[in-house]
Amino acid sequence: MRNGVDALRFVGVSRTFPGVRALHDVSFAIASGSVHALCGENGAGKSTLGKILAGIHAPDAGHIEVFGEAVRFGSPREALARGIGMVHQELSFCENLSVAENLCLGALPARRFFVDRAAMRARARDMLASIESPIDVEATVGALPLGQRQMVQIAAAVGAGARVIVFDEPTSSLSQGEAERLYLLIDRLRERGVTSIYVSHRMDEIFRLCDAVTVLRDGRHVATQAVSASDEAGLVQMMIGRAIETMDAAPHRASSTDEALRVSGLSSPGKFSDISFVLRRGEVLGLAGLVGAGRSEIAQALFGLDPLAMGEIQVAGRRVDLRTPRQAMALGLGLVPEDRKRQGLVLDMSAESNSTLPVLERLSRATFIRRDEERALAASFFERLRVRAPGPDARAAGLSGGNQQKLVLAKWLAAEAKILILDEPTRGVDVGAKAEIHALVEKLARDGSAILLISSELPELLRLSTRILVVRAGRLAGEVSRESATQDGLLRLMAGLAA
Amino acid sequence: MLRKILASPQTGLALIIVGLGAVLTFFAGTHDDRLTGEAVNNFLNSHTLIQTATDASFFAVMAVGATIVIISGGIDLSVGSIYALSGVTMAMVLRNSGGDAGAGSILAGLAVCVGVGFLCGLLNGLLVVFLRVHPFIITLGTMWILRGIAFVSSKAESILVPQSLTTVAKASLGLGASLYPVPMLTMLAVAIVGAVYLTRTVMGRHVFAFGGNPEASRFSGLRLDRIQISVYVISGLCAGLAAFMGASFYGSASCADATGYELYVIASAVVGGASLSGGKGSAISAMLGAVLIVLIRQSIRTLRFDQNYEWIIVGCAIIIAVVLDQGSAQLNARRLARAAGKES
Repeated sequence: MRNGVDALRFVGVSRTFPGVRALHDVSFAIASGSVHALCGENGAGKSTLGKILAGIHAPDAGHIEVFGEAVRFGSPREALARGIGMVHQELSFCENLSVAENLCLGALPARRFFVDRAAMRARARDMLASIESPIDVEATVGALPLGQRQMVQIAAAVGAGARVIVFDEPTSSLSQGEAERLYLLIDRLRERGVTSIYVSHRMDEIFRLCDAVTVLRDGRHVATQAVSASDEAGLVQMMIGRAIETMDAAPHRASSTDEALRVSGLSSPGKFSDISFVLRRGEVLGLAGLVGAGRSEIAQALFGLDPLAMGEIQVAGRRVDLRTPRQAMALGLGLVPEDRKRQGLVLDMSAESNSTLPVLERLSRATFIRRDEERALAASFFERLRVRAPGPDARAAGLSGGNQQKLVLAKWLAAEAKILILDEPTRGVDVGAKAEIHALVEKLARDGSAILLISSELPELLRLSTRILVVRAGRLAGEVSRESATQDGLLRLMAGLAA
Repeated sequence: MLRKILASPQTGLALIIVGLGAVLTFFAGTHDDRLTGEAVNNFLNSHTLIQTATDASFFAVMAVGATIVIISGGIDLSVGSIYALSGVTMAMVLRNSGGDAGAGSILAGLAVCVGVGFLCGLLNGLLVVFLRVHPFIITLGTMWILRGIAFVSSKAESILVPQSLTTVAKASLGLGASLYPVPMLTMLAVAIVGAVYLTRTVMGRHVFAFGGNPEASRFSGLRLDRIQISVYVISGLCAGLAAFMGASFYGSASCADATGYELYVIASAVVGGASLSGGKGSAISAMLGAVLIVLIRQSIRTLRFDQNYEWIIVGCAIIIAVVLDQGSAQLNARRLARAAGKES
């Protein structure tokens, strides 16, 4: 089936981390010049495998063959010398330095003691030219949008002569447009004979981009097969080890007419302007838009996090003043923010303390926390949301993305929020947890909550929403009903193209 | 139960202190008691032990406040100056209010010290919150400002405090003569109150949350300004209380008191496992950290090392203690992770 040589071959690779067997006896091969998907739920071991390949971790047992030669890398530098580069999930740059400085950081061109700035810029330009990217080499990396930062990282790998590039969930924080550009670049790299390993659990990407796919589950190799011989349901089933309910066709809901939230002429200088809409009890109102269109900014303004926001907000028909998150909470609002690690959780605190953080005052008597009540409340929500943690005292940092996200949801359910704003609630969450979160959103709406759902994943919006608002460049560009919404139509509205 | 105690973060520090105590006892040698003629260990005797605890108590009290500030992700460099200003203000107030009024003087003195500490802490907190300048800079500034106020207002004199204060601070509480347990007991009480505050109250939990992730705390509706102001107020209160103890115990106050204490205080908190990046720390550990630092100083005397090397030894010991603590925390985490892995 494979044409020509294998670029890579994993032979019985195992790796154990304290308490976790991340990989167990994994063996498979990757054909040279192909784009090979590596998929599995969070914690299945796909990132670990990528990191072993890139020399960040060493395997405990087994080995890797690169173009037929057994290798063992002690560092990313050694891996790169063998032609293996990595584009990380969380981009690692010195954000205060320029593109050129970052690209040449490993080997700054120098004349005697001083950096040869001209040579450095020239080399950086060459590297970016190798992937046909027009990014300014003198720009500060921290000032670039995420998509461009990723291009810089790819340029670093390609420019250093990488023949194999590991992409670790590269589109998890990119906008649709940026992701499209990345796909095109990977296609071009394939034409030039570069082998790409694409770690992802997003089905649309795998089918759009990849030639072959390897599924991992619980650190074990489940299958390696051609993408043309795979179908979505089959892959998902292999990833989670059981069949799940079909992903389409949400049950139809009778939308109640009770108004939960009415926003009129909401504006914030430089972020968004003149936003008006009504959110009713029992409905899921989708909010679509490209990254940077102002979706999260609107969400944060509604939660009292934007002191500059102006406009009128009514909750349950009463005009309210939303200046602080505290006021928003008192009115029954809850916000599951976009970035759970930065905004959603205190990673060093326990799972339990995180889930009760907004409601501690309610759980206390004369400022002393009633520990038994706290424990009982957290336990009830952990059970309801099926949070899988070693225990209530486990640090939030140690949980998987899906479980962390459930913790953030638990916070607002514990706070008895009736108007929930969910900003990218399933980003970076594995398939199983995603299905659970979707089911929860539907159940909450059925039980009478009003939900504002922001998502970059159009299938998710189409599946869950009763109506979808589209924001473009800080303004409402349109409203689409569930029946008439299509992915293509939404994309056109989001991008401002004629229908 | 035993396992729970062994796994608690204070155990390592307590074991180090006991271990060092044992070593000191072993090498200290003995002297003959002047009255009874019995051989007495040079370290393991009630006088030396309580003296060591007394030495530790003044900055251990402040270390409890400092550890709360550090858990919130801040730092307070001004505690030594708050101590001096509180002590000097109290001494001047009591001097100007006429003679020794017994219990009245004691209460007035305590009120003045704690009040000055409160105001200084409030000043720090307000400046940090409303000027949005890093607390290191703010408290570096107030460190000099408050010391300067103490200097100017006391005209650099050492001012005596009424005898009744010293009587209380040096009360023997039924222990033998020349044993002064009051500062030590105050230290224990403050550490316990601090521990209860941090682990049992809503405010304490909020301090951990704010220090661990201010952004997530804001998104959870916590009142960040209030949290920040209150940690500096607590630190100021601790410094005021320590000043009351110190000035009463030694019988006088001067503007040069507690010079450089801020560093001992921060060292105690850090040796006690507080993380300067916020979100981690314990009041009991901060107290133990203070005790350990004093014990190391004491060991130089007990073992008759050259006293000129004191600073070098204390400096090395602080670094070693923190490195050991980090190492044991990692070992502990790995052990817990292994245990969790086996269960699953």
